[in-house]
Amino acid sequence: HSVCYNRNSIYHFIDRAEKPHTVCRQLNSTLWLNVGGRSIHSSAVCCKNRAARIRVGKGDRPVTYEQALHPHQIAHRKGWLSQHTSNLQGEDGAADRTVEDLFIRRLIYGTFHGCLADELVIKRRGNLLVICALMLQKLPPHKYYFLVGYTEELLSHFYKCPVKMEIQMLEEKSVYKYL
Amino acid sequence: MTASMRIASVRLLSKTRHYFSSEVAVQPGARTVHHQPASTRFVFTSVRCNVCLIPVAFLHKGRAYGTQSSSVTVTEEPDLLFQKLSVLVKSHDKAVLDSYEFFATLAAKELGLTLAKVFEPPKNIERLTLLKSVHIFKKHRVQYEMRTHYRCIEISRITGSTSRVYLEYIQRNLPEGVAMEVTKTAIEKVPDHIQMPLWSVQSQEKQGSQ
Repeated sequence: HSVCYNRNSIYHFIDRAEKPHTVCRQLNSTLWLNVGGRSIHSSAVCCKNRAARIRVGKGDRPVTYEQALHPHQIAHRKGWLSQHTSNLQGEDGAADRTVEDLFIRRLIYGTFHGCLADELVIKRRGNLLVICALMLQKLPPHKYYFLVGYTEELLSHFYKCPVKMEIQMLEEKSVYKYL
Repeated sequence: MTASMRIASVRLLSKTRHYFSSEVAVQPGARTVHHQPASTRFVFTSVRCNVCLIPVAFLHKGRAYGTQSSSVTVTEEPDLLFQKLSVLVKSHDKAVLDSYEFFATLAAKELGLTLAKVFEPPKNIERLTLLKSVHIFKKHRVQYEMRTHYRCIEISRITGSTSRVYLEYIQRNLPEGVAMEVTKTAIEKVPDHIQMPLWSVQSQEKQGSQ
């Protein structure tokens, strides 16, 4: 790609095949020139964090409390979705618990497809694994009972520990704000 | 037909819920034990009181039976005595520790135990600075931290059986995400062969020989 510069600005012609985030990084990593006493500092757009954030949009997208608050608000305005002791000082087993949590979330997302109102909360009390879920009223109740019993049985056989599921029904997803 | 179907579904529920039996895994007191019971070893009951109108033969054999700690055992050997029982709880959330401290101190007062000290050791923050990108971009990093808050409850002059009861109660009600470390300092009788200092025994013998 070619670079030509003016007195006041830098223009870059960048290959169309490149992805947007690399475009940003290239813009950021260029030299800034002191032409005629004016300095140009390239933007900090690509230095922004994008983890677990829903960007502000037109205002028509409903978003839950969990999704609306950013991860730096954890322990301030947000709680923890997965509660276990392995991340404490002097405790081990963090990687195993994380992998288990991910597996459980995917399993339940698939088992109750379209019925989950919000993220799961996974708690570990001693050997007991408690999965707390908020569900929408999409299926008849006897199907929910069956699926809860099925997941409890399957996960308890898989992880060799007692598993309890506590579900709470909602009529529709609780919206915190529109982004 | 509908009655039999209903029974079949309730049977499935009762099977899943009464599947696991509970055992109290309390470690008996020993000399200055330092163990971490709560976060790893306890098995809790998943007992729920369902009114099942099913004959007993249909229920799964592994039903939850009552804990063995309800029976009182009387032994002739003397009980262990502890000078100090130190319970250190750790968590990521300070509010949870505040409420647990209130619960534990209330339980100790109800049992008539002497609370020597209830204090808060300073928190520990473990920070990680990692690269933000998968490939290159060394100047752009991401920082994470893990905070561990502590709370220590010290109880002085307690017997072995009381400590077992108190610890079992405390540990059964430990919240999720809270770890506990228990340190016990035992008191023992001084052994007979060191009751009297050696130099006094030797001087008595010298006087006797003289």
